[in-house]
Amino acid sequence: MTTTLTDTRRAPANGAPAVNRPTTRRRKRAGRTMHAGRLTYAFLVLATLTSMFPLYYTLVAASRSNADIARVPPVLWPGPNLLHNFQQALQQADIGRALLNSLIVSSSITVGTVLCSTLAGFAFAKLRFRGRNALLAFTVGTMMIPPQLGVIPLFMVIAKLQWANQLQAVILPSLVSAFGVFFMRQYIAQSLPDELIEAARVDGASTSRIFWTIVIPVARPAMAVLGLLTFMTAWNDFFWPIIALSSQEPTVQVALRQLGGGYVQDQSVIMAGTLLGTLPVLVVFGLLGRQIVGGIMHGAVKG
Amino acid sequence: MHIARAARSNLVRLGAVTLASVLLAACGSGSTGTGQSNGEVTLSIDLFGTFGFKEAGLYKEYEKLHPNITIKQTDTEQEQNYWKSLQTRLAGGGGLADIQGVEIGRITSVAQLQSDKFEDLDAYGAAKLKKNFTASKWGAATAKNGAVVGLGTDNGPEAMCYRTDLLKKAGLPTDRDELAKRWATWQGYIDLGRQYKKNAPGKSAWIDSVRSIYTNVAGQSKERYYDPSGKLIWETSPTVRQAWDLSVEAAHAGLSGSLDQWSPSWNQAFAAGSFATLPCPAWMLGYIKGQAGKSGAGKWDVAKLPGRAGNWGGSYLSIPRMSPHKKEAYELIKWLTAPEQQTKLFQKVGNFPSSIPAIEKVADTKDPYFSNAPIGRLFGTAAEQAPVQILGVNDQDVQEQIAKALFEVERKGTSSSAAWGNARKGVQNAIG
Amino acid sequence: MTLVAPAPGARPSPPAPAPARRALRALSPYGYIAPFFTLFAAFGLFPLLYTAYISFYKVELQTPGDKLWRGWSNYTAVFDDPFFWTALRNTFTLGALSTIPQLMLALGLAHLLNYKLRGRTLFRTVMLLPYATSVAAATLVFAQLFGHDFGLVNYALSLVGIGPVDWQTGTWTSQTAVSCIVIWRWTGYNALIFLAGMQSIPADLYEAAEMDGASRWRQFFHVTLPGLRPTIVFAVIMSTIGATQLFGEPLLFEGSASGGISHQYQTLGLYMYEQGWSFFHLGRAAAIAWVMFLLILLLVGLNALLTRRRPAKETAR
Repeated sequence: MTTTLTDTRRAPANGAPAVNRPTTRRRKRAGRTMHAGRLTYAFLVLATLTSMFPLYYTLVAASRSNADIARVPPVLWPGPNLLHNFQQALQQADIGRALLNSLIVSSSITVGTVLCSTLAGFAFAKLRFRGRNALLAFTVGTMMIPPQLGVIPLFMVIAKLQWANQLQAVILPSLVSAFGVFFMRQYIAQSLPDELIEAARVDGASTSRIFWTIVIPVARPAMAVLGLLTFMTAWNDFFWPIIALSSQEPTVQVALRQLGGGYVQDQSVIMAGTLLGTLPVLVVFGLLGRQIVGGIMHGAVKG
Repeated sequence: MHIARAARSNLVRLGAVTLASVLLAACGSGSTGTGQSNGEVTLSIDLFGTFGFKEAGLYKEYEKLHPNITIKQTDTEQEQNYWKSLQTRLAGGGGLADIQGVEIGRITSVAQLQSDKFEDLDAYGAAKLKKNFTASKWGAATAKNGAVVGLGTDNGPEAMCYRTDLLKKAGLPTDRDELAKRWATWQGYIDLGRQYKKNAPGKSAWIDSVRSIYTNVAGQSKERYYDPSGKLIWETSPTVRQAWDLSVEAAHAGLSGSLDQWSPSWNQAFAAGSFATLPCPAWMLGYIKGQAGKSGAGKWDVAKLPGRAGNWGGSYLSIPRMSPHKKEAYELIKWLTAPEQQTKLFQKVGNFPSSIPAIEKVADTKDPYFSNAPIGRLFGTAAEQAPVQILGVNDQDVQEQIAKALFEVERKGTSSSAAWGNARKGVQNAIG
Repeated sequence: MTLVAPAPGARPSPPAPAPARRALRALSPYGYIAPFFTLFAAFGLFPLLYTAYISFYKVELQTPGDKLWRGWSNYTAVFDDPFFWTALRNTFTLGALSTIPQLMLALGLAHLLNYKLRGRTLFRTVMLLPYATSVAAATLVFAQLFGHDFGLVNYALSLVGIGPVDWQTGTWTSQTAVSCIVIWRWTGYNALIFLAGMQSIPADLYEAAEMDGASRWRQFFHVTLPGLRPTIVFAVIMSTIGATQLFGEPLLFEGSASGGISHQYQTLGLYMYEQGWSFFHLGRAAAIAWVMFLLILLLVGLNALLTRRRPAKETAR
């Protein structure tokens, strides 16, 4: 797994010139960059430890008993109760079902968002139609709307549809991603030369054929990045799920809230549940961390 | 861009995962909650706090008696959060359990505003059960049109729980009758607290929070937030005033541990022994056992509550109209609230019965965890003498806001008058 | 906003197709944006307008069928409510407490990460870990760390003779604690954004600066910072929007919608949630939602005004 990733990473990039430029620049610049001193490393290690400590402490608390956590001076290394607490958490907040629900919800949102965004992004980038610029500006403008704004009527819509406490109540509204549309539009506009499309048109290809055979292959890397980001956001989403769902049909975040405010005898079980709910994201992160880092940095330069 | 390209291969993987999960979703939605084949029914029951059914093994017993029934319980510790989510789901018309618990402070709201959303249990023959229950318990769950929206589970007659070991270390008496005499009034209780404070072992407080004082004092009178005509009178209610003043006095005397009830630090304080006394409705006994754990056994005792007899809490079980298994659900709640089960519940977890035959049956119960305190007699007398309280639609909201303001007094040293003002603003805001 | 890059310029027009095909082709672009806009209309636009509509009615969650015309009184009730002003002030102070240190730290970290480093991928990945942790999980852990009697933070402070600090009920202390969660979650993410910006600054600028004999510090202030300006503006706008919408951290910190016993860290988002979902006043909550929206528009508008004053070249990233 790791080797594959490293290999692909070394493979030369063959995108549009616009994509290549920063890379060459960085290479040239990298040669000139100053080496880090000891102090730099010290600071970075400190920052790294700070980033990890709360997660480490979750592990410590999750593997202890309630009395251990309440001890002064506090304990700072893991104890023997991890599996027991996992078991308790699974029993008390139905974390198992929550994990499955979260997987279903996040995956569906990811697939739907990437598809919708690529379709619309392609249209905005490469097709000409009346009102294009206005619609694009409108789309970008909607990013400013606080998610809290539409929640009340959205809930009423969901209620009308009799969807409350069903997973589609969380999935469908979350498919609307102005960020995704904009992200894909920027990528396709820059990495897909117009000439390629014109050539296909001359050969008599229809727009949909162009989309599937030319746009999708070129846009695939950006789709993957958008997919990863969407998946993480969906997994961690919190505001809407706690309104639309309940402890009867929870996602992980809803279940965590139930653990936090639920009838749970001890804090260590709460922490065990927290750890269980976080583990899947940590695993994804362990496997694809490099790509996620790259995706965010890439998105930043583009944005 | 090379970095993102690498992710391409992972897209395939992601796709596979997604496909699998969408398929799972498709299967899942078909079987949500209930399996129907050959008469098998899964009953969902959604509760808050400690009902104790599961802990007392009642579900297992019922499942044994009715092999086609499986019971699935979900539980939220804080009633406030539970109520919020229940109301959201009632409005959304989905996600309700077959059986929902309702706190006594909310039952009036359900009976008056939402009787169309819950089954009228009379239709299932509940009228026959009426004679089992105390009149006030039954009456509170009856709507104006006579519909019965819930069956009573427990009541919350109050007593005082205390740590004998801590009191001993502080040089105070530990005998429950002696203590009951010393704290015959709330003033006596606070004065005793002052004495405790002088020699308090290990920085422990006299009481967990002044909220405890407030709720218990407020639970000792017939009239607190509403007058008999249903008018909100809490601002001028002498009961509220008295409960407030006593709480403020205890806070100013530094007797309180200033713990936020139902928060993790409150929970941890049981095990750590951070406070010596806790006014306790019967259902709190089970909670204490759970939180203080095995190491607390024998260290606790129960005595008569200062002031008059009072009631805090107690609940109902109701069946939402939306439930697909109303008949089975009714059978279950009828069984759970029957005198035999209420008796078992009290003996195992301490929830005091609201059923008359059960109250008679438990009169001699003693609890070894609480130094063999005669809890049957203690709570029985309290239940007998407790006033029938006048309840209103926003009972619980008012109580929450006042308790929050009192917490400001003990935790932040806010002045009594400023806190009272905050409580007023809070109630205005909540009631709208 | 700075995000809108100009659409690609003119391109050679395609060969003239047959009329029927031309009509189809004129319509087909709408087919591509249709899925997005259909969903948007149903789950974005409609709720938005409907919120405006019910903000003029008394609507209660317990009895959603009964609407009672109220005119502007939901709005005046909001402005008359002292808790609204508390929430507004909290939103600003919490926003400042979390955004400013976060962006400064991120800038510093990005600068350090920009050195030639051993294990740089590891550093970057680990620093992004908090971003991958959910608000719910992070807040539960921090609530434990900031516990009054048994929290690690107070223990550490007690070692140097401070404390115990009341991280729950004090105004500044609780806001600091909540801000810490935000800072922890977002610093690494912003550091990467800044790092990406730094790496796109042409190396010859540094070379020139070095030839002029500029020290490292001077290079940072005179080359790095100006070059980063568009990225910083972007990060500031995104963080501002994020801060205005702050919700999960204060809700979960003590698990109550009132944001502490004296509403001392209740944000606008939480205030709206409390009105709508604790007290069930949906109409009033809708009015709050609109007030919030207008506030964000105002803030972003101010931001845009400030950025427009800079040369367009920098903005067109």
